[in-house]
Amino acid sequence: MTKHLIGLGVLLAVGIAYPAILPNNLTIAISVLLFAGWATSWDLLGGWNGQVSLGHASFVGLGAYFVAIGQSQFGLAPWWTVAMAAVFAAVLGYFWGQLTFSLRGPYFSLSTIAVAEILRLIAINEEWLSGGATGVFIATLPEPFGIDLFSRTAQFYMALAFAAVVIATVIVISRARFGYQLRAVREDEDSAMAAGIDPTVTKLKAFMLSAALTSIGGGIYGIVLAFIEPHVIFSLLLSVQIALTAIIGGRGTIWGPAVGALVLVGAGEMFRTTFAEANMLIYGILILVVVLFVPRGIVGELSRRHIRRLYAKRAQG
Amino acid sequence: MASLDILLQNVANGVLMGGVYALIGIGLTLVFGVMRTINFAHGDFVVLGMYSAVLFNALLGWDPYLSLLLAMPIGFFAGVIVERFILSRVIDAPPESALLATLGLSLIIGNTILLTFGGEPRSVQVSYASSTFSIAGVNVSMVLLLAGIATVIMIAALYALLNRTEVGRAIRGTAENRLGAELVGIDTRRIHSIVFGLGVMLAVMAGVTLIPLLFATPTNTGAVFTLKAFVVTVLGGLGNVGAAIAGGILLGVVEVLGASYFMSEYREAYGLIAFLLILLFRPEGLFGRTIKRV
Repeated sequence: MTKHLIGLGVLLAVGIAYPAILPNNLTIAISVLLFAGWATSWDLLGGWNGQVSLGHASFVGLGAYFVAIGQSQFGLAPWWTVAMAAVFAAVLGYFWGQLTFSLRGPYFSLSTIAVAEILRLIAINEEWLSGGATGVFIATLPEPFGIDLFSRTAQFYMALAFAAVVIATVIVISRARFGYQLRAVREDEDSAMAAGIDPTVTKLKAFMLSAALTSIGGGIYGIVLAFIEPHVIFSLLLSVQIALTAIIGGRGTIWGPAVGALVLVGAGEMFRTTFAEANMLIYGILILVVVLFVPRGIVGELSRRHIRRLYAKRAQG
Repeated sequence: MASLDILLQNVANGVLMGGVYALIGIGLTLVFGVMRTINFAHGDFVVLGMYSAVLFNALLGWDPYLSLLLAMPIGFFAGVIVERFILSRVIDAPPESALLATLGLSLIIGNTILLTFGGEPRSVQVSYASSTFSIAGVNVSMVLLLAGIATVIMIAALYALLNRTEVGRAIRGTAENRLGAELVGIDTRRIHSIVFGLGVMLAVMAGVTLIPLLFATPTNTGAVFTLKAFVVTVLGGLGNVGAAIAGGILLGVVEVLGASYFMSEYREAYGLIAFLLILLFRPEGLFGRTIKRV
């Protein structure tokens, strides 16, 4: 665990220095950090607990809308609305989970798509709630300690803090009882029950935590975008991107989703110059490659080989 | 009464639309019944059908029903190739791998279409697009009527294939018990390729028949149709072809009635809500016999 924490510390140090080194590449760095945070939060449910959700954009949207509406209609500062969003997301996760955890495997994933779509339609049609299809615009933001929240540098640090907090959470969970419970339920629910773990409670906790963390990132995303439209932020595509980022990077590992974010956002940017909107093509190709040849994801495969090498060395005496 | 006429008209349109949904659903449920794979890319194959009709219309001036002659065989072979090279490798892996592989396929197909045709919605103009046909005093859209007729023919052909031919018997055998089928000498790998090819062919056909009515956008429409196909198959019970027909018609009618009499903006949601309710309370579908294991 110390190794991981040291790694996190190193990354934080690099991150803090980053805006000074590459001040013109902040937006893409923000993307990488947000996706790293979202994918790692997703992974709590999808990798450590084995429940593949394809509706996580709902929580991103929740966070973004809370911040946007809170600010523009009620004058509430983002730190309050983000906290409210996290609580609301956890509650939503609770009910959503109660509804769908009786389903296994692909049926669960299908149901997440359906619920996310219904939420999207509500956001588009209920004008009184969400400003309808035209979206919400964040015109002003408070200035804590004189920091302009609209500046890319401030947003970068917020995204950095978000990603760091999520990864730290996963590092802590990986050695805590909860982490073992998650993995037990993933591997074999019936055996976990025999060992005294309640799978439904575990899954619900994972869902709620994952939802809350994702929504915090969503709030930051809202500030970054400053203009929120329902079909952009509740899109199935975003949900798929988050899930694929974690899967390609390596489900159930600590650094996998973050590595996935780096690879995919980077590749996406490279492809965007050639393919414009079709940059999702790279996601499709990569996921096929991963499923066929690298099933544990990048970090998963690497750590498996590392472990095998260690084992071989030890076995040799 | 005027409202009864309108009701009948709505129901008729809903039934015909539902027939096309059924066609999409049958493709999905056939693939699931035989290969135990949920094909996330199914809707994108429908979109592929739509765009092939657009292409043939633009290049050769063909009416969509003429394009069917080319599109269906191409669809079949495309399905066979996909199955041979991609799906056959994940068939024995945990079911999520197949799901993810088809998800990847969906992204690839959608974005390739986007690259080739651009992002604007496309459709095909046909001379009979807005004409209606009168049956017993009820006005039915001509396009839908033709689609309905094509669907009925296709379903009849499928029925004949599944129940009256050796290949059909082999397919049914593989669906029931893959190991048992192999033991009696059926080449299940070949059957898998054939069935997936059939599924894609049906999807393509649905797309071609629908294009005069709808606009297609490369990336969104695929997901919409995939979701509808899921709703249809789950309503009827995954693996149950006959029930998929009923499920399709049900979806078509629910959508039309919901949109006319309740809030029309939530048209898509009615099917989704029905889908969720069935998944939760009757996961084997309205007519299904198997339990919700995958």
